[in-house]
Amino acid sequence: MIETFIGLEIHIQLLTKTKIFCNCKNEFSHIPNTNVCPVCMGYPGVLPRLNEEAVRKAYIVCRALNCHLNEKAVFERKNYFYPDLPKNYQISQFALPFGVNGLVEIDGVPKIRIHEAHLEEDAGKLVHEGMTSYCDFNRTGTPLLEIVTEPDFKKPEDAELFLQNFRKMVRYLRVCDGNMEEGSMRCDVNVSVNFEGKGLGRKVEIKNLNSFRHVRLALQHEIQRQSKMLTAGETIVQETRLWNDEKKRTESMRSKEDANDYRYFPEPDLPPYYPAPEFLAAIEKEQTELPWIRKRRFINEYKLADDGAEFLTEERERADFFEAALNAGVSVQSASSWMRGEIAKGLNKNKMSLKDSHLTVEKFVTLIKLLDEGKINSQGAKKAMEILICEDKDTADVIRENNLMQMADSGELEAVVDKVIAGNDKVVQQIKGGDQKPIGFLIGQIMKASGGKADPKKARELLLNKIS
Amino acid sequence: MIWNEILKTEENRKKYADFVSRADKDIHSFLEFDAEKIAPPENTEGCLAGLPFGVKDNIAVKDFKLTCASKILENFVSPYNATAIEKLEKAGCVPVGKTNMDEFGMGSSTDCSAFGGTNNPWNKECVTGGSSGGSAAAVAAGLVPFALGSDTGGSVRQPAAFCGVYGLKPTYGSVSRFGLVAYASSLDVIGVVSRDLDLAEKVFEVIRGEDEKDQTSIPYPEKKAEPVNGKLSFTYLEGDLGLTPEIEKGYRACIQAIRDRGFEIKGVQIPSLEYVIPVYYTIATAEASANLARFNGVRYGYRSKNGETPLELMQKSRNEGFGDEVKLRILLGTYVLRSGFQDQYYGKAQKIRTKIINEFKDIFSYSDIFVVPAFPSQAFRHGNAGLTQYQQKVADKFTVTANLTGLPALSLPVGVDNGLPVGVQFFADYCSENLLFDAARQLADVFPVATPPGFVPAEKIIG
Repeated sequence: MIETFIGLEIHIQLLTKTKIFCNCKNEFSHIPNTNVCPVCMGYPGVLPRLNEEAVRKAYIVCRALNCHLNEKAVFERKNYFYPDLPKNYQISQFALPFGVNGLVEIDGVPKIRIHEAHLEEDAGKLVHEGMTSYCDFNRTGTPLLEIVTEPDFKKPEDAELFLQNFRKMVRYLRVCDGNMEEGSMRCDVNVSVNFEGKGLGRKVEIKNLNSFRHVRLALQHEIQRQSKMLTAGETIVQETRLWNDEKKRTESMRSKEDANDYRYFPEPDLPPYYPAPEFLAAIEKEQTELPWIRKRRFINEYKLADDGAEFLTEERERADFFEAALNAGVSVQSASSWMRGEIAKGLNKNKMSLKDSHLTVEKFVTLIKLLDEGKINSQGAKKAMEILICEDKDTADVIRENNLMQMADSGELEAVVDKVIAGNDKVVQQIKGGDQKPIGFLIGQIMKASGGKADPKKARELLLNKIS
Repeated sequence: MIWNEILKTEENRKKYADFVSRADKDIHSFLEFDAEKIAPPENTEGCLAGLPFGVKDNIAVKDFKLTCASKILENFVSPYNATAIEKLEKAGCVPVGKTNMDEFGMGSSTDCSAFGGTNNPWNKECVTGGSSGGSAAAVAAGLVPFALGSDTGGSVRQPAAFCGVYGLKPTYGSVSRFGLVAYASSLDVIGVVSRDLDLAEKVFEVIRGEDEKDQTSIPYPEKKAEPVNGKLSFTYLEGDLGLTPEIEKGYRACIQAIRDRGFEIKGVQIPSLEYVIPVYYTIATAEASANLARFNGVRYGYRSKNGETPLELMQKSRNEGFGDEVKLRILLGTYVLRSGFQDQYYGKAQKIRTKIINEFKDIFSYSDIFVVPAFPSQAFRHGNAGLTQYQQKVADKFTVTANLTGLPALSLPVGVDNGLPVGVQFFADYCSENLLFDAARQLADVFPVATPPGFVPAEKIIG
């Protein structure tokens, strides 16, 4: 039997106002070299100034991963030459990172130990056009947190599931937008195989994985490749490989012998970092129930099915919305079906997330109350919801302006029903003759004639009374 | 003081600029001195208002070049001001030019400048010392009342001693390093050179203090340091120090003068002194190897025309842009940091550094000022007639100690022998610069600052 060992190295760009060591804006810009200054461009004589917000967000993640927080953390210089790295060293952490020895327990994934989480600066980008290479330093100095797991994954699917949950986590913690396509979350993997009981094999690193799917495919391919070699008695080379998505295979990039000697040494421009007790107390306050724990609770507490709980805990805003609605008296059934149905549909249609939409819990709760009280019908409620999502208006105003109140007065409804009966004599005769099918048609006519304001249930009652 | 009159009028400024260009012809203390850039001071109040000053060419002055005396930065113009410059400009001082130095501060002669060395105003055949040789020479020749230098291993104090002026190396972190091009970040500090002790102290008081742009800077205590026993007490380094006869004589005269003034002074030994040179060169070159990595021809500075690939462009720009001494130190630093050898070199050096710090802690627990020669010899000759690069490095042992410990030190002239100045230096405890100045003032009439041949006093410049 062959055993597999998979470890992940995840980089997340922290959402901060400014870069890690200067006052440049930390945001994406399409125009190259606009968010730059002498400090992040590595001009002669400049010095780094550590961004407290980046430190805070890094510690929030370390805590969420149950890391031990070192009493003293030290920044170090990682030396290597590359044109997109202005100082030709990256300020990172090495011997004493912020967090070490963490543990993550996600349902369906084995317990994963976290080796460390360290804060560093991102590099710029090289853009190649023909025979010319251009440097864009906008990304230079973006705060980057690197999380290194122990090789505790046994299956590619586990790594994928872990990553999905990890991304939800950083979004819950509001420290990273988790966008893999844009590179704000990046992942390298390492994998080795060995005969069972023989321990770790020779580690191969794989880079250039731009999605969770690539992670899984690359791991599957690599495990197969290594297993074949192992069984055939061949030697697996310790190296770095790149995922080629077109050819669906990994390709050798550099062997261990060609690896850089980074010549780490403590960064003399930054004093060691000692997290103060008050600072750590503030970090505790920013912790939140993690997505996989919240999901488990939703299943247990609200008796939701797995997929429902999964959907509702996908985003922190969604889960918060759901629970706030329950607190305001909306039933689990109603809140979950609205959120998975009309609200999701409306948001999708407008390409919005709950956060950017105009819908608030209060507006939603008011709408559900009106619906439950029979003041509006479900058709009217659906229409109101569409408007509430994209317009900044109160529920009451939306209903009034669009004339969505249900006909409260039965005399008014009766008049409509009579009118429809009178205008559809043939159909009425058909029903009288025992054919139930056209009833729906007549109700539709009543709804239409009432401008959608009729209570379909009442209308049906009235109609059947009158016909029979 | 006449110096603050010198920039007041257009006419004076012109006379001053003419004087400097003329006087600096055979000294070559300035790499950049542009009469057009000399403006009247923004601030005319205060004791420093209106004073022109020179700035070592590794300290950023907005719109001035910042070459570090290196071909790799030959045409680089600084887009910003160092914090020390901002503070001096606010006090009304006016930077008038950039002074010569050993390339990136690496050297003890200023002959390692890519743009030609500086001649000692006392004897043009001799070097000014280094690396802040241009600053020391400009001050000694009376071209500016004071100049800023930087001191990583003695680079302010040794040239000051060679040129017969005062040179202050402040407590590490007391002056912001923001805008000082880093050579060895944990050792570098901006220092002051002047013929006037009081002026040097005032300039230090202006430039010191915590700076948010430099996280290694420290808040300077408001309260002045007091002598440990109520009255200044001294120690001096005893034993066979390998000094030239002239330096030996001056050193002894200084110790005697302290005694004659009624101060207590006793000899001490520093056991770890024999290690300071390897420790210094391990730490300094390790840090330098990273600090100088940014000069690669990609974003600014010299770019080789022979690079076919980005990597080759960086390699060739560095190979063509850096001088030999700089390359030697980068190689040394890269060597001591390589994988598997950090403990043996860098780690061990840091341990010895801690030991040295503790030895000085002991000395300053019972005395205020430690007296030691600035350099084993007077200014040596240019070229092969002088000291080899190796001899120069070994001779740094008296100065590098202040950088390894972070202690403040002041070098002061103690006379002229055979036509060249003799200097010694005082060390004091952290943030006790005022005691250094007080101690030096006690000797000011015994060892007045001498003037080199052809010296023109300030009042004659505009007179």
